Amino acid sequence: MVFNSFEFALFFPVVCALYFTLPIRWRTPLLLVASCGFYMAFIPVYILVLGLTIVIDYTAGLYLEHARGRRRQLLLAVSIVATCLVLVVFKYFNFFAGSLTGFAQVLGWELKNPSLALILPIGLSFHTFQSLSYVVEVYRGHQPAERNFVVYATYVMFFPQLVAGPIERPQSLLHQFRERHDYDYARIVSGLKRMAWGLFKKLVIADRVAFYVNDVYAAPQNFNGLQLTVATVFFAYQIYCDFSGYSDIAIGSARVLGFTLRENFDRPYAATSLGDFWRRWHLSLSTWFRDYVYIPLGGSQVGPWRWARNILVTFGLSGLWHGANWTYVVWGLMNGVGLIAGRVTQPLRDRVLGVVGLRAGTAPRRFLQTVSTLLLVGAGWVVFRANSLTDAWHILTHWPFGWNPGAIITERFYLKHFPPALLAIVTLELIQFLNTRASVGERVARLPLGLRWPAYAGFALLMIFFGVFSSNQFIYFQF
Amino acid sequence: MASTASPASTPLAATPRRFPGLLKIAGFFALLTALTYAADWIVSAGLKRITTSKFGSLNRIMAGKVNADIIVNGSSRALFHYDPRVITAITGRSAYNIGMVAARTNIQLAVLKSYLKNNAPPKLVLQNLESFSLVTAKSGEIYDPTAFQPYLRREDDLYEAFRRISPEAWKWRHIPMYGYAVEDLKFTWALGLLAWAGYSGPEIYHQGFYPRYDQWTDDFDKFRASAIHGLKYDIDPAGVAALTEIIELCRARGIDLILVYSPEFYEAQVLLQNRKEIFAVFRQLSEKYQVPLWDYSDSPLSRQPSLFYSSQHMNANGAEAFTTDLARRLRDRRP
Repeated sequence: MVFNSFEFALFFPVVCALYFTLPIRWRTPLLLVASCGFYMAFIPVYILVLGLTIVIDYTAGLYLEHARGRRRQLLLAVSIVATCLVLVVFKYFNFFAGSLTGFAQVLGWELKNPSLALILPIGLSFHTFQSLSYVVEVYRGHQPAERNFVVYATYVMFFPQLVAGPIERPQSLLHQFRERHDYDYARIVSGLKRMAWGLFKKLVIADRVAFYVNDVYAAPQNFNGLQLTVATVFFAYQIYCDFSGYSDIAIGSARVLGFTLRENFDRPYAATSLGDFWRRWHLSLSTWFRDYVYIPLGGSQVGPWRWARNILVTFGLSGLWHGANWTYVVWGLMNGVGLIAGRVTQPLRDRVLGVVGLRAGTAPRRFLQTVSTLLLVGAGWVVFRANSLTDAWHILTHWPFGWNPGAIITERFYLKHFPPALLAIVTLELIQFLNTRASVGERVARLPLGLRWPAYAGFALLMIFFGVFSSNQFIYFQF
Repeated sequence: MASTASPASTPLAATPRRFPGLLKIAGFFALLTALTYAADWIVSAGLKRITTSKFGSLNRIMAGKVNADIIVNGSSRALFHYDPRVITAITGRSAYNIGMVAARTNIQLAVLKSYLKNNAPPKLVLQNLESFSLVTAKSGEIYDPTAFQPYLRREDDLYEAFRRISPEAWKWRHIPMYGYAVEDLKFTWALGLLAWAGYSGPEIYHQGFYPRYDQWTDDFDKFRASAIHGLKYDIDPAGVAALTEIIELCRARGIDLILVYSPEFYEAQVLLQNRKEIFAVFRQLSEKYQVPLWDYSDSPLSRQPSLFYSSQHMNANGAEAFTTDLARRLRDRRP
């Protein structure tokens, strides 16, 4: 079941109504049942895969808490390997097998490609990482093992964030299933507004520009430089609005039920460097890799070469997490290289910019940094979105050429689609900018009822009129 | 005054409400629902007011304002190939084209039923055929369902046909704005709002006929190069049943029927691997029900690229040449 579906529009109010009316002891079991229903709306049998990882990590948590010495390490390793094995079988087996046979072919060996005809369970990478963070935190002694199976299963399966995060840590979420969440009008309204904002991003922006992006990226060789550029700019907004929109709906729906999920985005396209971008983009994943990969490798508390290695390993794995395709790996490594290059060239850039009068902290300098970061991020998105590295190379080398404004439309995106799409993007940027000064939502909330309700209703109607409701996926579900 | 309150009312008033503000939330969603219904009504009413082109033609059909002697039914090949003005000029009988773009045979059947429900039965139905006449629309394959959206609440035949094809069709009929918001990416609702304000848009249809002023391009050569093994269309039992039902419907209503395979560019004909099998079904139905089958596959018209803009579709010149030939045959045909 996806958030932007008619089914969810029925499911969510029913779950909320039951949640607030049932006796407290039944509320977490209700959330578990609801989450099972939510997940099974995709491919029912995959609940068994999810159930298996839950049982493994629940059991591992219980044993880990009391184990000592090598047994403790062994238990952690078994738990991580078992959990990751599910991920490897479903997500990476065909990729590794295909890459291996391809490599063997280059060497002149003929190997049969043993591919598995499996559909990737939706959101597998998200709940796998959430499960892993639980066992690691129990191992580290930061989190007591959860004894109540229902509570633990609900922690992994909590439907608002089950299929695309935010990836939560046990310390921040697990205890919330033991707390009492009563009906609270202000909190519910705030959650609903957050959901509406997420729906706007998803329906009005992401899914509209997706038509253009999909047309162009399906066969980039057939499009001129302007179309390649527009498609890439649109993709930057598509992926941001799709994923941050999902996160908004997840955070909002959890808030309605009384739960607090972590923020996942912080105006990433306002970043002034790649490092800054990664402190604003998919925060729950970035911090996961920071805490469980980068820091254990030594982080930045090592020599420059080992630091560079740590960065590349972390970003390479982050790329691989996004998908079983070399484009994702290259995208991850590009970001890693960009970060390393950024740090290495920092003194030189500071000096050059200082000489031309662009002192640190000034608005022109920030503007230049934001634009250059956007270009780097955009180049990364090309590799991320392209169907192959060949396509990505074509786009990166052809976008400045053959601009023909007379041929800007695509098969499914006509001229009439540009104004609402562009207007929605401008609205998004404007509201995000205004939010940095004072929350637009709070300002609207202070209006008298006679203005406030028409404003909310008008916003909802605009979404109905200009939204695209036919998409049944969020981009990050596939990861 | 406060001290005079009745003892019974005091504890009741003091009881805290369990869900404060819930009515407010419900009230807002009720308002939103009402607004959505209103928007749906305005858009549908606006689309029904359109007097030109696609919606204008559909509106005349659904409002029972056609009542022609000769009806052309089919998909885009019918819509683009048959000029009722030419038929009327040559035969002296009124004619109308109810063909619709990408309408599969089960949709054509539903459109014909709606026509017959709302209009006086014609004397003759020209049922156009094509190589995919025996393929039916499956769930998710109904092309441009929004074109039918304004009529779904009233036209049971259309609705039932859609429901049989797509289980989701109940949402189009019963959930306000669903058909316009979910099933349409072309902002058809905007046409409805404009028409509500009195603007109908330019007329590009002529008695239901849509002349295409496009020219032959190299698209077919590209297509042929990409389809080196040719192509094959299913002979779907449901498609055969739909075509049979059209024939039986006309027979039951005492309407004369002619099956017409309008011109198809001859070089495209050889690409269809199972053309013989498909035509065998057409002939079988024609013989079984004693319905004429006029096949223009071998007509000289099918050999002139200048009369086509794609391998399946004639342009306005082709439509005029074809309709002229067809209308003369109709005129000279013994009843």
